[in-house]
Amino acid sequence: MSAPDRGTRIEPMISWLLIGGVGVSLALEVAGMVLFYLTYGNLNITQDAAVFIRGHDFFSFIYSVFSGRFHDALPLTLMTAGLIVLMLTPFLRVISSAVWFAVVRNFKYVVITLFVLIVLTLSLRLH
Amino acid sequence: MLNIVTLGILSIAVGFLGSLTGLGGASILVPILVLFGIPVKEAIACGMVAIIATSSGSASSFVRERIANVRVAMYLEMFTIVGAIAGATITTVVAPVLLYFFFAAFLLTSFVGLRRSMSGFVPAERQDRLSRWLKLEGSYYDVAEGKEIGYRVNNALPGGFGMMLAGLAAGMLGIGAGAFKVTVQENVLRMPPKVSSTTSNFIIGMTALGGASVYFFSGLLNLTLMAPMAVGATIGAIIGGRVLNRLSTRVLRIMFFVIIVYLIVQMVYKGVTAI
Repeated sequence: MSAPDRGTRIEPMISWLLIGGVGVSLALEVAGMVLFYLTYGNLNITQDAAVFIRGHDFFSFIYSVFSGRFHDALPLTLMTAGLIVLMLTPFLRVISSAVWFAVVRNFKYVVITLFVLIVLTLSLRLH
Repeated sequence: MLNIVTLGILSIAVGFLGSLTGLGGASILVPILVLFGIPVKEAIACGMVAIIATSSGSASSFVRERIANVRVAMYLEMFTIVGAIAGATITTVVAPVLLYFFFAAFLLTSFVGLRRSMSGFVPAERQDRLSRWLKLEGSYYDVAEGKEIGYRVNNALPGGFGMMLAGLAAGMLGIGAGAFKVTVQENVLRMPPKVSSTTSNFIIGMTALGGASVYFFSGLLNLTLMAPMAVGATIGAIIGGRVLNRLSTRVLRIMFFVIIVYLIVQMVYKGVTAI
């Protein structure tokens, strides 16, 4: 890698975003599992309806979880938050790539990245 | 019996094996969960989420070292994501018994990777117009060869459609479909092996998000399954990535072969008995 290129490259930013997102997400999952044990006294994999994700669309779901209107117990809320952070990691990666391509005026790739972003957003919104 | 701790430990072992053999954690975990009596669609949905973690975790260093090509990845993601969303949608409606057979059939494509690694990389002489227009090219520093290796990607459009198929299989089966992606990237798109495997790894995270977006509200995502799988598989993959270079290729080949054959037999057996 040539040193002068470093500051202008997209790779370090993406790399940190990925490692940070995965780190935070997995930490939340571990915290959720530990609290699950402390709360319920067991670590069983259950088919109880409460452990399944339910809702209408991803973005309003995030809002309801983080605005505290999520009625589940704390362990499940933490695991859900971990899942949300995990899913947001590649999503933020696309958004930041689109911004970066716009900044370096690579408009072909702005269009390509926006296509991926729109398809993803629609899918998260509609399902 | 399977609980959160045993599944976590199992996922570490599987993530480790998956990263050593290049199969990825989920393609081994999904059949194992099925073996433990977890409904196949639930196993697939959780596999899809676990992949976001393993792929993003291991891709970060490849991206930083600029072996994975971000531009090529963005282009190919247009195709894989559409495939993944379509695939996941199919899985939510199709009869579970079919999924056992699809899974077994798709595992067969992993064998293509065995032949691939025998032959050396020959760079493409010329580029087609679309690949040139998209500037699908790059270079990386190869530590083993001690020099910068330049390459030009070819056949952007057929390669894209090949990747869409990979995305379809990934979304349907809750796996990364890494072996299939790498095959398309090397044989159709003419990418060098190291660029190909690392870029594929990077793309898998995005493809998995496309699939996960469909599974998110399908009522198939079980938090008590997903959490230990994601944590375990990622830890296993990180450890696997570190010891990969210390194991002989021969040992890896044998492990790969045994695991694939076992998984295929198990899924076919499960499918046949479920009919």
